[in-house]
Amino acid sequence: MNDASSPPPLSRQQAGQLLQALRTEMCKAVIGQQAAIDDILTALIANGHVLVEGVPGLGKTLLVRALARCFGGDFGRIQFTPDLMPSDVTGHAVYDLASEQFKLRKGPVFTHLLLADEINRAPAKTQAALLEVMQERQVTLEGCALPVPQPFLVLATQNPIEQEGTYPLPEAELDRFMLKLRMDYPEAADEMALVRQVARSTRADMLEVAVLRPLLQAADVLALQQLASDLPLDEQVLDYAVRLVRRTRDWSGLTLGAGPRASIDLVRCGRARALLRGGDFVTPDDIKGCALAVLRHRVCLAPELDIEGLSVDRVLEQLLEQVAAPRP
Amino acid sequence: MRLSDSVAVLHPRSPWEAMDFGMALARRHAGLLMLAWAIPAWPLLALLSLLLWESPGLALLIFWWLKPLGERLPLFILSRTLFGETPRLGESLRALPGLLRAEWLASLTQRRFNPTRSFDLPVLLLEGLAGKELWQRRAVLAACRGKRGAGWLTLVGLHLELALWLGLLAFLYLLLPAQAGVEFDWQQLLEDTPPDRLWLEHLTNGLYALVLMIWEPLYVAGGFGLYLNRRVHLEAWDLEAAFQRLRRRLGSATGILLLATGLVLAQLPGPAMAEPPASQASQTLGRQAARADIRAMLGQPPFSRREETTRWRFGDPAQVSDIESLPAVPADFVQRLAQALEVLLWLAVGSGAMLLAWRYRAWLAAFAGRRTPAARRAPPRPPGHSAPRPAASPTLPADIATQAERLWAEDPGQALALLYHGLLERLREDYQLPLSEADTEGEILRRVRRLERPELQHLAETLIRHWQNFAYGRHLPPAAVKDELLSAWRARFGSGSPA
Repeated sequence: MNDASSPPPLSRQQAGQLLQALRTEMCKAVIGQQAAIDDILTALIANGHVLVEGVPGLGKTLLVRALARCFGGDFGRIQFTPDLMPSDVTGHAVYDLASEQFKLRKGPVFTHLLLADEINRAPAKTQAALLEVMQERQVTLEGCALPVPQPFLVLATQNPIEQEGTYPLPEAELDRFMLKLRMDYPEAADEMALVRQVARSTRADMLEVAVLRPLLQAADVLALQQLASDLPLDEQVLDYAVRLVRRTRDWSGLTLGAGPRASIDLVRCGRARALLRGGDFVTPDDIKGCALAVLRHRVCLAPELDIEGLSVDRVLEQLLEQVAAPRP
Repeated sequence: MRLSDSVAVLHPRSPWEAMDFGMALARRHAGLLMLAWAIPAWPLLALLSLLLWESPGLALLIFWWLKPLGERLPLFILSRTLFGETPRLGESLRALPGLLRAEWLASLTQRRFNPTRSFDLPVLLLEGLAGKELWQRRAVLAACRGKRGAGWLTLVGLHLELALWLGLLAFLYLLLPAQAGVEFDWQQLLEDTPPDRLWLEHLTNGLYALVLMIWEPLYVAGGFGLYLNRRVHLEAWDLEAAFQRLRRRLGSATGILLLATGLVLAQLPGPAMAEPPASQASQTLGRQAARADIRAMLGQPPFSRREETTRWRFGDPAQVSDIESLPAVPADFVQRLAQALEVLLWLAVGSGAMLLAWRYRAWLAAFAGRRTPAARRAPPRPPGHSAPRPAASPTLPADIATQAERLWAEDPGQALALLYHGLLERLREDYQLPLSEADTEGEILRRVRRLERPELQHLAETLIRHWQNFAYGRHLPPAAVKDELLSAWRARFGSGSPA
């Protein structure tokens, strides 16, 4: 496992082409989820973690596996279960009888791309262990701080409809995720294509990701992240992003607004999205395009609207319709 | 009835102990009591089920209504058992018709919902009273909280029956095989049972009868215990039983001789004590003096107990206040003031109710009213947030294209801004696009694309692209763009001023 310490020089044009190729490649495996693919690539470039939510069978895990397949770095997967312990995630010290010494056995978290499948099935202490790594990007084992390799991206999945035997992530821990994606049912035409493709597949019930080409190395991801962070951001666009987040705090449909970390993540996502579309600067559209994914898990819906049957997304959409876009 | 033959120790008990005593008595003969209850009841339920196969609920209601009649046989057995004459099952069943005749109609009508039924039944059945005598006897037994505990016994019994029945229903549901294909939901419970499920309803009625078979004898025994306890309190049955046992033990001549000697010795004067001589005055006490002495004695402890309490109470209009210093307030004024206060209070209550209804109207609409599905309704606009306003444009010149051309040489950015705001104005005016302040450039372009006008779309895309390059990327537009944009603008909008 190598840390990509020196990213190769990459022009914006090359970056745009690379990302377009990556998106096209992923679309071969994940059919009808274009928005989710864009969001996951946004998180990859913005160096943030992603929580993917959706009912079973929509391809949450497939999406992550497709990204892992197109990514030449290391990929690890943890299936979260109620009996999973923190040491199963981070690693632990093992006594070696031959050398009569304790040896550190690193956990699956030491990887570039980590799939935390069904994260809400593990108890709070195990979730906290992972969330700590996400935040600190290092693991302390036996008093020794071990950094995780760069880039490091956690893609956690959870099923929103199953509440029995699950441990919902608290708001403070949800805040560690840069984006929360909601995967929805595909359109009819996409579903037709998907069914047709699966029916041809040698695997009985799932799409193949083996056919995808690895287009991206760990160093490329670091280079893309560097490029994104250098993209020009006009003061008015920055002001727009901050106004969007601040408005969540006094919006009467929400009992809990997003914090400053949301403003930071929104700007980072805006930059990543600008790079993804091949732009040379960030526009209000880039900010608005990822505002929903950045904010939806950081706000709490007012109980009366919850009773009315409204979703957080609908309330946030209404909020987005109220905040004035920049008009220089 | 010889109290000395009682198989149980009779002595005054608390109501709870008395009920426990009755139930302990029932537990000794549980099998007999359950059979005696079940043998008439089960066939009756079966008959009702057959007759009312289509209406299992009605069958259960009738069966439940006849419950008081089923309590008589267990009571008969318990009353015999107490004095060691436990009847056999056949003998008990032969007594049943006679037991059912006593006041059966009253038991099923006016006294059906009597909460102290278990206590009143022994009075009717064991004392053989009827009419006014029965009523008076019950009054005597109920005096001084004599029935204490009987109501609680019924209430607890009601809940116990329900809990056991629901438990058995759940158990039955768990035992149903998957092949039976019985799937319940709450909605179905409120609807008519389909014909192919009637057997299941009747089976649940049977489960209720099973619960009663266990509980009813215990209930009757609890009431019987309370009744016995009341008799012990009122008639000193415990003493009577003790005397009867004593008489039996001392039945011989020696015993009588000893008793007589004891009684004679008890009449002998006591030893002479050094007492003060009685005063002469007391010997010549008159009637008046005696009354005064008695009154004085009654005014002292332990015959009287004085205590002072202070509390608020409503004044008695009949009593004249002894406080003369207060100014006299006209009664009419006080009456009017009270009425005004009452009106104000009612107004406050009404206003509070209306305020609550208004405050929680969403909840009321959700839970009490008919709602349209939320998915079809727009989200309610939070208070304090106005509707999106149309995009405000700076004051535009009459001829936008000419003005922009003039500005381009000095400040291309300013010229682009003018053209961009002019475009927004024209889109609102000429094409009725509902643009708001919150619309970004991308959203405006999407709206333009929906108009399906290629020239307008091309102009908007070019202008907005260059405008964004300048506004957010600080890239000046190339010189060639000027002519392209201005000619396209003039071709589309002419001078550019609103018509």
